[in-house]
Amino acid sequence: MILVTVKRSILFALQSFWRNIWLSLATIFIISLTFLSINFLVVINAISDSAIAAVKDKIDVSVYFKQDVRESKIAEMKSHMETLPQVERIVYISPDENLEVFKERRKDDLVIQEVLAELSGNPLGATLVVKAKNLSDYSEILKAIDNPAYADLIEKKSYDDHQAAIENINTITKNIKKGAWIISIMFIIIAVLIVFNTVRIAIFTHQQEIGIMKLVGATNGFIRSPFILENIFSGVIACAIAVSVIYFILSLVQPHLNNFFAGVDVNLIGYFNNNFIVIFGSQLVGIIILNIISSSLALGKYLKV
Amino acid sequence: MIHLVNVTKTFEPNTTALKDINLHIEPGEFVSIVGQSGSGKTTIARLLISEIKPSKGKVIVGGWDITNIKHRQIPLLRRQIGVVFQDFKLLPKKTVFENVAFALQVAGVAKKRINKIVPQVLKIVDLGDKLNRYPQELSGGEKQRVAIARALIHRPKILLADEPTGNLDAINSKEIIDLLLKINEFGTTVVLVSHDKDVVNGLKKRVITLEEGQISQDQKVGKYVI
Repeated sequence: MILVTVKRSILFALQSFWRNIWLSLATIFIISLTFLSINFLVVINAISDSAIAAVKDKIDVSVYFKQDVRESKIAEMKSHMETLPQVERIVYISPDENLEVFKERRKDDLVIQEVLAELSGNPLGATLVVKAKNLSDYSEILKAIDNPAYADLIEKKSYDDHQAAIENINTITKNIKKGAWIISIMFIIIAVLIVFNTVRIAIFTHQQEIGIMKLVGATNGFIRSPFILENIFSGVIACAIAVSVIYFILSLVQPHLNNFFAGVDVNLIGYFNNNFIVIFGSQLVGIIILNIISSSLALGKYLKV
Repeated sequence: MIHLVNVTKTFEPNTTALKDINLHIEPGEFVSIVGQSGSGKTTIARLLISEIKPSKGKVIVGGWDITNIKHRQIPLLRRQIGVVFQDFKLLPKKTVFENVAFALQVAGVAKKRINKIVPQVLKIVDLGDKLNRYPQELSGGEKQRVAIARALIHRPKILLADEPTGNLDAINSKEIIDLLLKINEFGTTVVLVSHDKDVVNGLKKRVITLEEGQISQDQKVGKYVI
């Protein structure tokens, strides 16, 4: 009996979907637009995340050691620093490597080249380049570097140069995240209202049929389930259309993104591929739940015959 | 078969549609309930299918006291009473076959049995060749015959026809009334709600006349005299 009812509900839903094709298409169109607008927000989030990540990736703290500091002392400090939970990685650059880089960078500066040739030894010390896990972690790392035990070893730190920039980026990042949350909530509220009203209108057009079904002895469940299933079909098809449209647009836009964002690596297709289940799965589950709730609420009014 | 005991129905704020009605209809009877608009005819029909509940009194259908019927039992009641309406109440997006089959599908009847019974019943109402037509492709008389087929599909003991000829011309009206008489001959109790004088007078069956919510006449072989 239950199996027969389920089969009939699916059959009625498909029949109704097909026989009211214009209404079905209008519903799908509106839900697809809702999906697209939500995913437009996802794109904006992905781009801002990539931009922030790119900027963050360029930030680190360079600790320049005095020329005469022994390598073992630097290794000791490096080992200590690596135990800090805030540290992502530390790269050691030897005095020779520093000199090579310096020579390469100033190869066109003849005065510098002459001075270096006259010097018998290497005037540069070693460097540690420290990368934090988060921007906010640099303050803790700096405290560790400022340990009096290391004061005699260190010539200077690069962090002082761009501390203000890092603080700015921190503030901008926080604001972008806050803005994204507010816009997301607004989009979700708008999407919920659009879908809710679309389903209500679709069911409103069936109100006479619902009354007739009741009069010939159909139970509320028997009437309700095909409508809910029909709206779920519309949601699934709308989601599939939105996925196709989004990937089509991304394939057109992707080649121009890196140029547009001046070297920042913005791989939107990769982002959508990696988060496919999370992005579209959550939207699909959301639309199904929304359809069930709005169908049930909209139907309730007409089921009291 | 049908008992209304001291039934009063009041609609908010203060319209009394039925006043202290006592009505008994025996199994196999053909009863016409007549009266002018607003006399309470349709209110009785609505009480019988539990679309509304009485304000006072008792309603018993087929031995079942439906006065305070539970909401979830209403579909079961409606599957036991065949109902035909003036405006046919056919599902516009379903074919003739599907409209009739729907009444069985809601009761969980197997597909095989539906495929066997539905064409048989549609043949009885002379629509055996129009199974795949949609309601909008049928004449008024044909639509009403589909509605009758749907009402009969459960082999109900009671057939309630609320102004079944209201939207039909004289020829189609006669066909529908003949069909109701034929159904009554097979033993089904028929309750015809009508304000069509010619139809009721031609029947020569029991007539209950309502005036302002009360029974003014109940004649074994009656006429519409208002």
